[in-house]
Amino acid sequence: MGNKLQDFLETQVYPSQIWQSVFRHGRPVNDRNRSLAVLSNVFLHLHPIRLPRYATKYTYTWGMGGISFLLFLVETVTGILLMFYYHPTDTLAYADIKSLEFDVPFGMLLRNMHRWGAHMMVLAVWFHMYRVFLTGSYKKPREFNWGVGVILLTITLFMSFTGYLLPWDQLAMWAITVGTNMARATPFLGHEGPFAEYLGMKNNNDVRFALLGGTVVGGPTLIRFYVLHCIAVPFVMSFLLSVHFWRIRKDGGISGPQSARLANLNKVTQVKAAQGKKVEATTENKAEK
Amino acid sequence: MATEDNTPEIKFRRDVGVDKGEISRRKVLGFFGWGAFWATIAGTLAGTGRFMFPSVTYEKSPIFKAGFPKDYPPGVSTRFLGDQQTWIINDNGMIYALIAICTHLGCTPDWLSNENKFKCNCHGSGYYVSGVNYEGPAPRAMERAAISLADDGQILVDKSKKFAFEKGEWEKSDAFIKAT
Amino acid sequence: MEETTAVTMYSLENFIEILTLPDNIPIVILITMLVTYTGIAFYKAFDNDKRIAAGRPVWEGEPHNQEKVHTWPHLLNIEFIVAILVMAGLTLWSTFLNAPLEEPANNSVTPNPSKAPWYFLGLQEMLVYFDPWIAGVILPSIIIGGLVAIPYIDTNPKGNGYYTWKDRKFAISVFMFGWLLWIVLIIEGTFLRGPGWNFFMPGEYWDAHKVVPLVNVNFYELLNIDPTTPWLIRELPALALTGAYFSIIPFVVAKLNKKFYEDLGLIRYSVTIMLLLLLASLPIKMVLRLTLNLKYLIVTPWFNI
Repeated sequence: MGNKLQDFLETQVYPSQIWQSVFRHGRPVNDRNRSLAVLSNVFLHLHPIRLPRYATKYTYTWGMGGISFLLFLVETVTGILLMFYYHPTDTLAYADIKSLEFDVPFGMLLRNMHRWGAHMMVLAVWFHMYRVFLTGSYKKPREFNWGVGVILLTITLFMSFTGYLLPWDQLAMWAITVGTNMARATPFLGHEGPFAEYLGMKNNNDVRFALLGGTVVGGPTLIRFYVLHCIAVPFVMSFLLSVHFWRIRKDGGISGPQSARLANLNKVTQVKAAQGKKVEATTENKAEK
Repeated sequence: MATEDNTPEIKFRRDVGVDKGEISRRKVLGFFGWGAFWATIAGTLAGTGRFMFPSVTYEKSPIFKAGFPKDYPPGVSTRFLGDQQTWIINDNGMIYALIAICTHLGCTPDWLSNENKFKCNCHGSGYYVSGVNYEGPAPRAMERAAISLADDGQILVDKSKKFAFEKGEWEKSDAFIKAT
Repeated sequence: MEETTAVTMYSLENFIEILTLPDNIPIVILITMLVTYTGIAFYKAFDNDKRIAAGRPVWEGEPHNQEKVHTWPHLLNIEFIVAILVMAGLTLWSTFLNAPLEEPANNSVTPNPSKAPWYFLGLQEMLVYFDPWIAGVILPSIIIGGLVAIPYIDTNPKGNGYYTWKDRKFAISVFMFGWLLWIVLIIEGTFLRGPGWNFFMPGEYWDAHKVVPLVNVNFYELLNIDPTTPWLIRELPALALTGAYFSIIPFVVAKLNKKFYEDLGLIRYSVTIMLLLLLASLPIKMVLRLTLNLKYLIVTPWFNI
């Protein structure tokens, strides 16, 4: 069975025009073709073709960045599926969640996956930051990427915040009421913060009003948070994720003990150093002013 | 056109020591491992597909009561047209329920009593009072709904059971009731 | 009033009940992960420190580990397995634990206690000690700003890309302090705060009618200053204390630790010491509140701290 199938594939399928047009390199069964696959595939080319062995060890990286991205994708897929059964209006939202849990096959499972996936993602993003800190991977030349990461952390928490309102139950409404009431305490921009009177901030024109679409948490808040949660913030997040991944590759891939040396050298000597040739590093121990 | 692999014959560790045709332990474990992986993927896709078909909808019930037969003098009644898209018709000693959906593309026809016909505004299909099409692009007659007498003597209409003229189903016993 | 015979005031069951609330399970996971990964990190850090002391390369710098290997299969394999484990874990968790859904939203009835999700409980706990504009706006902004600033104020070239403790004692200590403080606030908000945001010991029954006399005092009251004195005079001691905190301490630290100051330079040093003082102000205020019931240090017509 195996041989006949194998022969058929190798003589009829793989050399065919259809196959060759889709997969423009040989079968990834040896190093050369696997390298070509990583190089030419749009999803795989996120990775470098080769990387130092320590970077493949779980105890070094903890995999938390990758897990965060995986969970982002899981949340997107489960979120989109949930959208098929949800109306973002105060009269229908709660009933939709109940209906989803009991009237739709796998509805309960999908809702749970979305909820717990969100919690796991917050954990993953935190521990990613923790690991990056402990390996000093925010140091030169990765300072900017660390900043992008901090913003991504804030956005992840904001995604959680906006999503929390959507079931429209008591937990949702009051958690968001408490949260947005803190916005009204913003100095200058919130109507109950210090110095509010200097900008004429009242409860119908301050920053909390913009967030709620009203003076209380109500229907307009729900649709506003729905749009933020499903489209606006995911777009921003995708944009920042692209920057984050791009910078990882351009800053020299995963951090390592050669980072400090490499960061201070010019390009030619960088290549030499990566090849293991001896190079003089003069600015290594001085702080950059 | 075909990209040539100029790579030499590669011997894979997984095939070393295993003659062609022999099944190694590695192959067995690989079979079950990858099998479990693809089975999970297939299951997930199947579950996702099933998710798209809700088990419960909250649409109106197709079964409704339409009053007593004595309430319907000979002619076409539009009493339940707005609510249930159904005409209750008393014609030729029979009472039947005609579902008000044009068989061309689904619009709701009008009953023109002075011309004694149903006329669809969308593309001009015309039907006799029985529901049979004779004018315009409609391909077949409008359908009748199952009609019977409930225990309290009221007319009971069930739109989920439909009867087509072309199949001769209008003769069936639950397609009409005797008028009083 | 409830019959106290039906309910034990302190019991393991009460604690387990709170612990196993579906929304609190992530905190259990958080603590497990914290212990596990901190253990791994410090194990590797101490190992690297030994290597550095012996003059050998760090583990990440060993020739064997520096050797380049192909992404496919070596990285992709481990990524694949981790992805499967994460999906399996998430699916199992989602099969056995249901996401909570309380009664429909009703803006005339507030549940007691009204708690934010666990990752915001740290913030909600901070609200006990500071006014909303500080706890909810200023402090989170400073935290985020401080985090972004870390790479620019940390001039230590050591520890770039490998685990170490000896080479980065200061940075790691400060970060761990902030990190653990945040987690302590979350644990406090989850397990030690009940109805009315009153303090409840672990295992204590959450009585919604518990009455706790909490009389707040302000700083000027502790000093027995007449509340009717004009605010500038009344707050003079508090302002002096705060001013000293933010000016004398930096000066003294710079004098005592010349190398630290010189390595950083004036700008970086100022930013670093300000962030440190702000970070320390949170536990200081917490202690003052929990021991002296101090509500405000400074009371002005526009804002209170």
